[in-house]
Amino acid sequence: MFFALAGLLACSSSGTEVQGQTSVPDSSESPSPNVDRWIIPIAEVFDGGPGRDGIPALTDPIFVSAEDVQLIQDDDLILGFKNGSDIRAYQHLVLDWHEIVNDDVSGVNLAVTYCPLTGTGIGWSREIGGITTTFGVSGLLYQTNLIPFDRESNSNWSQILNEAVNGSLIGTDAELVLPLVEMEWGAWKAMYPETKILSFNTGFQRSYGVYPYLDYKTNNDAFLFPVPKDNRLPSKERVLAVVENENALAFRFEDFTGGTLYRESHQGRQFLIAGNSKFMLAFDISGPMSNLEFTYIHDGSALLLEDNEGNRWTVMGEAVSGPRVGAKLRAATAFMGYWFSIPAFYPTRIFNP
Amino acid sequence: MSNNLGLTNEGGGIWQIGLNYDYNNLNTLFASSEKLDDNSRRRITHTALWNTNYGLTDRWAVELLLTWVHQTREISQFSNLNITETNGIGDAVILVAHTWPDLLGETSTLVFGLGSKVPLGRSDLSTDEGFQLTADLQPGSGAWDGIGYISLFGQGFRPTATWSGSILYRLTGKNDEYLDNTSTYEFGNVFQGLVGYTEEILAGNLIFNPGLVVKYRHSMEDKINDLDFPNTGGEWIFLRPELSFSISPVTQLKSQWEFPLYSKVGGTQLTPTSRLTFSLLFQIRSNKKINIDDEKDNSNVLRPGRVASL
Repeated sequence: MFFALAGLLACSSSGTEVQGQTSVPDSSESPSPNVDRWIIPIAEVFDGGPGRDGIPALTDPIFVSAEDVQLIQDDDLILGFKNGSDIRAYQHLVLDWHEIVNDDVSGVNLAVTYCPLTGTGIGWSREIGGITTTFGVSGLLYQTNLIPFDRESNSNWSQILNEAVNGSLIGTDAELVLPLVEMEWGAWKAMYPETKILSFNTGFQRSYGVYPYLDYKTNNDAFLFPVPKDNRLPSKERVLAVVENENALAFRFEDFTGGTLYRESHQGRQFLIAGNSKFMLAFDISGPMSNLEFTYIHDGSALLLEDNEGNRWTVMGEAVSGPRVGAKLRAATAFMGYWFSIPAFYPTRIFNP
Repeated sequence: MSNNLGLTNEGGGIWQIGLNYDYNNLNTLFASSEKLDDNSRRRITHTALWNTNYGLTDRWAVELLLTWVHQTREISQFSNLNITETNGIGDAVILVAHTWPDLLGETSTLVFGLGSKVPLGRSDLSTDEGFQLTADLQPGSGAWDGIGYISLFGQGFRPTATWSGSILYRLTGKNDEYLDNTSTYEFGNVFQGLVGYTEEILAGNLIFNPGLVVKYRHSMEDKINDLDFPNTGGEWIFLRPELSFSISPVTQLKSQWEFPLYSKVGGTQLTPTSRLTFSLLFQIRSNKKINIDDEKDNSNVLRPGRVASL
């Protein structure tokens, strides 16, 4: 018995081998990421479990009209995007299971990236260096946040940092597609009845409508991977983060009860933040727009603001009447997310009205 | 691991040594009890197991199980095949078992076992890039578990038949050093019950034991930092045809094929598709003379082929 035991122990060893991107049929066409260099601490990157492409990103998504969609409730969250008359909603009910939607919105090659563990939805351009790519889910997490990879270069990107953190594009900033706004489906649908919404017909069979992470999004103590905690706010409170010069300014829903707006300077720029209990939106009004005096006029339609020149502006920052009709407010670099995820990436100040 | 536990006590002074290979294929995606049309993910675990049982007396025995584990995670999606592998020494099990022959009738035997799973295997393996892998890809659990079982077997409707039944409970411990000591992880407690029926067929000089086992398994949700971990836990009913035959009075080959009849998982999970186990079992008798005629005496016949393992 002793020899058998010794033999078993002697031949035991432990280690891992990752054969990433063993392509079929021709792996030589897929460049491998630079595995040696990361600009984020590797010790804080974890394998999330499903593996690379284990959570399948969507390409060529199908959309249906607001009347034809089923399952979604008015208080379910969506990410909304508008390009001219092409108006689309990407529902969390699908994003929870796929995390990335590679879309073409009337010529805008958009990747809607959504991390269920940080609650962050951010739009990236799929045009990188003149090449159109698609993004996939790497299965890795940094500060429990999504790390997408682009299929053209296999570079890995940090969603919240909006930057390639590994691979041949390391250090490249993601080009943000703004505004991608998060709000309740009922509110979005009332603003834009002509909107289309991402179909549940994704080509994958999943339990859409069933949240896959138990009580994660409401339990402030529930974390699946280590991440720094900041006790200034409840960890899972949804906040709007305005990021400028790698510093964040966080806004809370409780400051927008009943609907209101604020002007706030942050990192040398002027921001206008408007919202109510269903959404918060941020515009960068530095420059020529800074002299305008805005009033909150949202009545459930797409109209959001009126200024002292008589211009009326929509939630997407479009002037739809007044002397500046056709102009656009510059969308701030802003996104919604669970509170803990913002200070985990950026020094963060909480807005105090 | 539990498929290879539960060697019967063949008597004081008798060693039994088992060499086992276990192939476990998870390629079925379930949401609760609904099978999803998606086979893009596969988990394959190859396990080499070495177990031994020693009869301290005719009633008391000790059993030791050592493992070596090789796991692969494969994802076939978007014309790519991505593979992650881990391997290493797995956890061990040590058990003490007490046997009561004829407790519930002349042809029945009751066995009670108690022991522990010992965290010999590593639970902190990382990819080549340095990213630590999740608990289910680690060869070890990093936690001590308590294991208890009761097994009852006896003669069937005729002398060549054996029926068996057992229940097993694994009370899992907590890995306090999960993800670089930042978290705790605890696999779900497991209850397992099975019933089996085995026949004995004599073909020439060879004794074959075909058998059929029905296994029920219930696993609680895993816990991370004492909170339920999503998409874990569930209950399954497996069917397990078995076939063993005696090469000699002290050497036996055994094979098992296990597949689920019913699966109901917590959330959405990759769940067992099929499992194969091959075993080679030796007996070393320090104080008893072997004779083929001993077959008439149940105490001298290799019993495991006739009794479903746990």
